[in-house]
Amino acid sequence: MRRPSWRVEPSPAVGGEATARALAYVPDDGRFALYNDYAAGVSVLTLTAPSPDEGGPAALWRADTDRTRPHALAPATEVDGYGIFTFPYGPISMGVPEAGRFDVRTYGERVLNLVPVGGFKSRRIRETVVGRPVADAALLVERMAGNFSASHVAAFLEAAESASATEVPTAERWVRGLAQELQRIYNHVHVIARVAEAASQNVGLAQTHALAEEVLRVQGAFFGHRWLFGALLPGGPARRLDAADRHRLAERLGHLAEEFERLWLLFLESRTFIDRIQGTCPVSRAEAVGGGAVGPTLRASGVAWDDRLRIPVAPYNDLFVPLPHETGGDALARLIIRAEEVRASFLILEQMLDRWATASTGAEPAGSPVAPGRGIGRVEAPSGDLVYDVRVTAGKVDALQLRTPSRANWTVFAAGMRDAVFTDFHFAFESFGFVFAETDG
Amino acid sequence: MPSWIQQSASRGILTSRYPKDAAADEEVSPTGRPPLPVAGVASLPAARDSCPVGAISDTAVDQGKCIRCARCVAAGLTFTGPVEAATRSRDDLLRISSGPVPSPAAPPPLARLGRSLHLFLVDVGSCNACNLEVLALANPYYDVQRLGLFFTNSPRHADVLLVVGVPTPEMAEPLRRAYEALPGPKAVVAVGACPISGGAFAGAPGLVPGLAEIVPVDVFVPGCPPSPTAILDAILKLNGRDRAARGGP
Amino acid sequence: MELLGAVLSIAVVGFFAGAALSLVRRDLGYATSLAASVLLLISAVGALAGGAFQGLAWSGPLGDPESLGLDGLSAFFALATSIVWIATSAYSLAYDDRSSPLLAFCYALTLGAIALLVSSSSLLLFLIGWETMTLASYGMILQARGRSGRVFSAAFVFLAFGEASTLLVVVAVAGLHVMSGSFVEVPVATAGAIASVVFVAGLIGFGLKMGVAPFHMSEWLPIAHSSAPSNASAVLSSTLTLAGAYGLFRVLSLLPSPPPLWWGAVMLGIGAISVLLGALFAAVSEHTKGLPAYSTIENNGLILVALGIALIAHADGLTDLYVFALFAAFYQALAHAVAKSALFLSAGYIEHSTRTFDLNSTRGRAKDADRAARLGTVAAALSLAAAPPLAGFVSEWMVLEALFQSYRFSPEWVQFVGLLSGAAVALAAGLILVAMVKFLGFSFLWKPKATPASPRASGLAAPIGAVGAVVLGIGVAAPWLIRFLAPTVAAFAQAPITAPVGGLLSVPDGWSILSGSPFGILSPPVVPLALAAGAAVALGYYVLGGRSATRRVEPWMAGSPPGRDGETYTSFGYSTGIRIMMRSVLATREVRTGTGAGTPEERAAPFAYNVDLEVLDVFKLFYDSLVWFGDGVSAALKSGVMSGRLGRYLAYILIVTLVVVIYVAAAA
Repeated sequence: MRRPSWRVEPSPAVGGEATARALAYVPDDGRFALYNDYAAGVSVLTLTAPSPDEGGPAALWRADTDRTRPHALAPATEVDGYGIFTFPYGPISMGVPEAGRFDVRTYGERVLNLVPVGGFKSRRIRETVVGRPVADAALLVERMAGNFSASHVAAFLEAAESASATEVPTAERWVRGLAQELQRIYNHVHVIARVAEAASQNVGLAQTHALAEEVLRVQGAFFGHRWLFGALLPGGPARRLDAADRHRLAERLGHLAEEFERLWLLFLESRTFIDRIQGTCPVSRAEAVGGGAVGPTLRASGVAWDDRLRIPVAPYNDLFVPLPHETGGDALARLIIRAEEVRASFLILEQMLDRWATASTGAEPAGSPVAPGRGIGRVEAPSGDLVYDVRVTAGKVDALQLRTPSRANWTVFAAGMRDAVFTDFHFAFESFGFVFAETDG
Repeated sequence: MPSWIQQSASRGILTSRYPKDAAADEEVSPTGRPPLPVAGVASLPAARDSCPVGAISDTAVDQGKCIRCARCVAAGLTFTGPVEAATRSRDDLLRISSGPVPSPAAPPPLARLGRSLHLFLVDVGSCNACNLEVLALANPYYDVQRLGLFFTNSPRHADVLLVVGVPTPEMAEPLRRAYEALPGPKAVVAVGACPISGGAFAGAPGLVPGLAEIVPVDVFVPGCPPSPTAILDAILKLNGRDRAARGGP
Repeated sequence: MELLGAVLSIAVVGFFAGAALSLVRRDLGYATSLAASVLLLISAVGALAGGAFQGLAWSGPLGDPESLGLDGLSAFFALATSIVWIATSAYSLAYDDRSSPLLAFCYALTLGAIALLVSSSSLLLFLIGWETMTLASYGMILQARGRSGRVFSAAFVFLAFGEASTLLVVVAVAGLHVMSGSFVEVPVATAGAIASVVFVAGLIGFGLKMGVAPFHMSEWLPIAHSSAPSNASAVLSSTLTLAGAYGLFRVLSLLPSPPPLWWGAVMLGIGAISVLLGALFAAVSEHTKGLPAYSTIENNGLILVALGIALIAHADGLTDLYVFALFAAFYQALAHAVAKSALFLSAGYIEHSTRTFDLNSTRGRAKDADRAARLGTVAAALSLAAAPPLAGFVSEWMVLEALFQSYRFSPEWVQFVGLLSGAAVALAAGLILVAMVKFLGFSFLWKPKATPASPRASGLAAPIGAVGAVVLGIGVAAPWLIRFLAPTVAAFAQAPITAPVGGLLSVPDGWSILSGSPFGILSPPVVPLALAAGAAVALGYYVLGGRSATRRVEPWMAGSPPGRDGETYTSFGYSTGIRIMMRSVLATREVRTGTGAGTPEERAAPFAYNVDLEVLDVFKLFYDSLVWFGDGVSAALKSGVMSGRLGRYLAYILIVTLVVVIYVAAAA
């Protein structure tokens, strides 16, 4: 078993080494901080974040004073000049089918600066879960982002289990992996469909949209719920994963994989489609690392980092996990990464179903708590690195903090949109796979 | 281009024949149907404590609160209710029978508009699942354009607001604006447990516990999230072209 | 001296008397100008209806007979200018609140000079009027409020271009004198090199006053006209440029006909370029007076286009097109002069109520303005945007109809000029629509900012409304007006012609304008009738069908509260698309000042900077490089030739003496 290439430090590492690290990310609430040193392949999580005054790395982003009020999600840049005005887009628009706003600074046509504004749809999950039993809290956590539910629940349970040092059946971990990979496929296909819609690739949209629906139906058929709600929890809708079911599942996934392969090749052949996303909203490697990007966004900008490889727990420690990365940094590169990851996920699922019977037996201990009663859970969600920091006392959640991939990527999105034209917006926005729901929590 | 045509042709017709035919099981996952007690009302008191959102009382299952977590399955309920679970009154959601929803005496609110309706999606605090289920109506499996239903980009062009999510205080005012912007006659559909009762978030501090406190609601669609078929049925209830009105079983 | 002659003479003298009276009392000067304008209008209508006449006559210093009088051509221009002046003089009574009487003085003097040059029957008198006009206008521009440095430089630029124009006009007049042996305005028959010199000098000289490309552009006309007080701007942009047009028409009427083909082609090309550039710059202008000033360039370009087509058609022997294009040129001159005055007057109105000329800060602030001002401005701006059934629509239609027939030209290269010109004019028609929508939208129409209602000024509003009504009238009554102008055009064309009006389908005879023989048809009176019929149906439905309750809702801004300060589209943003698309002509560039925006690290971090999207003009760059070149040459001459060394000068004298001696010896 490989060693985890990340570690947790209870207090901030202050001084030369820490400040030299490439990434410094201070999440909204400032309760923990994450440093990724991509050159060394190590990331360090500290449980109390140092402020810049204390010698910590420069905080790229100030703590949100109140998550439930509208607030900027990226550094506000003051752009002024003759005829310049702010164009508020949202919080209700069909272009962005979630409640969130974008304040576009412009003199017309061109985006001089774009500030995503969140806080419209905070459902107070972090506050509401306090005092609830872990299983009940999980019902809220999986609704943090409906289309990332498996990742959120997996990370949350991982954190809660390690906080209480519970032993987890290996089979349960395999189910979580299976659910996450299915949902990754759904989300990546969905993103491709959204970009195709923005590019008016209507046949491609219909075909991809149908494929996404088929994945939802597979999830509904094998986990009892189209969005996997409750599927990873005790007492959830019955999952059907016995030998016969697994056989049928493998068969259906095989069809979907072939279908996807055909579609993606057709997309790659469509010049109008590629032209529209090539060079759109570019994020350089330095920007991605400096801005704290995660997931496909980071991998599209030339950094090969994937939590599934960095944090080798079951089932990923036993499987071949491809790690695609691109250097373009534009919407096209992000889309290629997503397509490659759909292929990778089909491959992972194939391996899992193949080896299910022999590998998913027994139990393995949860990760050790980072502090008494406090655990960290970290998974690679469809849009990137998702971190949960959970404190549990007597089976009830004491405190919940998290850093979501959507929250991490806003900064580079805003930077990439600078100097773009209005019409780039949808291509750019969709290529990141943002979910306002998990940003607001 | 020829290859796209080839690709489309090779897939054949995917589109459901709903509401002409009944929805197939494939279209509706188990949790897409409302839970009902196998042994009738008498078994409800025993099942009451299994529900994390308090949807089960001694006499009824409040479908408007149910988040389909399936914990009550062990206590004798099953997901066997009709897919067409949407109702035009909040009280009708407290049903336990497996029969079709009783048709209200009042005519459908948008019957005047004929067969075509324009839809506008408003998210007031959802988890994004309901948003995606509403958007899924446009995919080839449901293809609601065949029924004269279209999504618009502005409430100014819409007849129907599809509201998803539990209303946050921040979204109350934008929602009111969107409702005002709709030309009449207009209707509001509360899609999912969140806008009906707060769903999984009921009782969270600061949230509005129901959409009806902000705008009048014409149709309530239970579910977390409701399946696209259930949402489609709810929309068709507005102009009286739903399966029940067509005399379907 | 018959009655009309007396009226005309009193009118012309009246303007100068008004100038003198204004030194006593400002209002008196404007009132006298108003009365004189009415008299001028009466005499002009008399001349158009009853033929040419003479007023005062005397013997000039060079022995030539000199007189005031109106023939058809000058009567037409007197008509157009007097309509404008009646409005501007009435407006000035309420507008001019300056302590100094100088504005009123220069105003009356400018009017008198233009009246004089239009009604003079001698070229010398014309020149006197021309130069007086330039100087008096210069005086008006100097009365502008604002930073004195900017005003002075604008006035100086105006004067410099004005004097260049005078110089060329003098050349043209001298040429005419050489050909005819007299300063009396009589046609010359002989074509030749001198005629071409007169044409070129006249085209450039009068073109300078009309502000057409490339003698114009972002420099003198818009800056100078928009710097002036608003009543002066209206006079300058509507009637001073009209005086230029008159000069051109007059010179053409004196030159041999039919003219060489290339005259028309050159005129058409220059006109088309002016139309396109004028419309382009109007669309990106943010100044309530700069925008109409650029539109003046566009409209004067249209006059040149129509004239150019007429000359080509005449040279090609296409009589029907020749006549139609002439009518188009006349109608365009009339339609523009009247409509443009209303736009400048309303710019003054907007300034009065908002204290600014910047379209970015006038949005909706004139929305509560007097109804007369709003309606008048809407009519005038829509007319300039060529919206039916207004005057500008009729004239633009006529110009385009004439352009469409350029396929009949020969040889092919002229067709090609016609084709390119047509494309330019069509593109300009779209651009000017953007400009006028912007002008109207950001001043009178769109939702107000959260600023208090602006003060009203009915004294300023009434003339604007009146001009708006005239614009509508000139549009709707076009077929009858064209028939009324037929003798004038016939005299100008020196051919017996019939007005291009008729009837077709079920439109009564005389209600329609026909182009070509016949090529296209338009019935301006039917347009408002059809609109009125549609409105009547709608109104009937509304009244009889049970009026439904009106529900007012705020605009939909994606759920955000609408119209917050700083969150509405600016006038600048409205036309940025054009700035970016046409960057090769506009020389658009973005200037960023401030921190950051450089390295990736900076881009990811908060920073502040200032962005300005600047628009230049390729012609400005051209002039700048000319100045640079001229400075260089003169510096080189100064250091090289005029070195200030005595020995060098002695050598020059020696060389010249030698050359003269050799030349004289050789001649002997």
